[in-house]
Amino acid sequence: MQGQHNQQAYDRGITIFSPDGRLYQVEYAREAVKRGTATIGVRTPDGVALVADRSVRSRLIEPESVEKLHEVDDHVGVASAGHVADARKLVDFARRRAQTEQLRYGQSIGVETLAKSITDNIQEHTQTGGARPFGVSLLIAGTEDGEPHLYEADPSGVATEWKAVAVGGDRDVIQGHLEDEYTEALGVDEGVGLALEALAEASDDPIDPASVDVAAIEAETDEYRPYDVEEVRTIVDDLEVETVDEEEDEE
Amino acid sequence: MNDSFENVGAENPFEPEVGSFQNVQSDQEGEVTKTGTTTVGLTTADGVVIATDMRASLGGRFVSNKDVQKVEQIHPTAALTLVGSVGGAQSFIETLRAEASLYETRRGEPMSIDALATLAGNFGRGGPFRAIHPILGGVDEDGSHVYSIDPAGGVVADDYTVTGSGMQVAYGTLEQYYEEGLSNEEAKKVAARAVQSAVERDTGSGNGVFLAEITDEGVEIQGHKDFDDVL
Repeated sequence: MQGQHNQQAYDRGITIFSPDGRLYQVEYAREAVKRGTATIGVRTPDGVALVADRSVRSRLIEPESVEKLHEVDDHVGVASAGHVADARKLVDFARRRAQTEQLRYGQSIGVETLAKSITDNIQEHTQTGGARPFGVSLLIAGTEDGEPHLYEADPSGVATEWKAVAVGGDRDVIQGHLEDEYTEALGVDEGVGLALEALAEASDDPIDPASVDVAAIEAETDEYRPYDVEEVRTIVDDLEVETVDEEEDEE
Repeated sequence: MNDSFENVGAENPFEPEVGSFQNVQSDQEGEVTKTGTTTVGLTTADGVVIATDMRASLGGRFVSNKDVQKVEQIHPTAALTLVGSVGGAQSFIETLRAEASLYETRRGEPMSIDALATLAGNFGRGGPFRAIHPILGGVDEDGSHVYSIDPAGGVVADDYTVTGSGMQVAYGTLEQYYEEGLSNEEAKKVAARAVQSAVERDTGSGNGVFLAEITDEGVEIQGHKDFDDVL
């Protein structure tokens, strides 16, 4: 009884360590991320691809209103997995931080600088009294003078740079596929293809181009560009995966 | 860290991160030590050369110091001149130096000179009125840069520029002797000659010349009481 009472104490306060050095609220936030649909980032020499599964729970929802990919600045995009509302808050932070860089130094923010600003902000929410950690992981993708970068920001406030990474539901399966199939010499569209393949591997249903969100930041232009459904369909058609065909989709 | 987590991301881009500016009343404007001053900045083929005179005066009418260094390194490859109120210029330099160092420590690479000039302009405009008109000179990946930062925070890039009370006299010399593609050695002579002209005719300028030479390797600053040492 005593033991259980104590456990509840460090279970509840985010600023309180458990005797074995764990922060339970931060771990619970990681669980919240796993409940979200998967989001994948793939870095290639020509740019970074972001792919998000936005499978909707009702056919009455307008799929475009489900926000998983966000433009942060001309050259940076963010993809999220977990609590969408928490993600929006961080995306707004990132947008303001990017513009602050422009005002302060007259230059575009570096991807690493932005990623670390975001994770510093996330970290504050694991140590400030009264706060709740963010129940979201972000993929921060962008280019810096033609150099592509891809960072993951997790609920504890750690920024990790990746060549290819998945966050959210089915992460282990998807990451496994990326680990096996990733090569350095992909084009951006091939990066999108790799991510979609990985997504297909984790799902029993065929891939529906209308229910994945795709964007890329291309090194040549240093610009964030969302893909339209037709572009995604073209990429999916070239893959050896099951897809929802157009007629079925338009019903 | 920010005051509250409601506010994060909204820090003032026109104020330094390392402490905010003091709001000093400057109603004794005429009595504070001023540099009077002639400072010259030239872009060269090798980098940047800056020359400054060595006099501090009270309102340009009394020589309060005859051995003043009016050019200071603020960045691994950039320097700033002190022109106008000495107190304003000193705090300006200390702040910029701290911000440039913080930036480099955080990001593992030095600030570009353009970013440094933007920051200097923001601080000139954002804080209390400083009554200063420095020259910023530096070298980065994009090459050699010279900026004039005016008292209201205006930032103007040029191939060569002059600020201070001896400005017209020094410009006269530069119009005759400055040319593109000078080596630093040649430019040091041209810059010293411009300061020398001002020293002869401007009461706010005098007592020798400091020369700063900037390349992608760093900043070297040396004072000369006698112009013959450098001409």
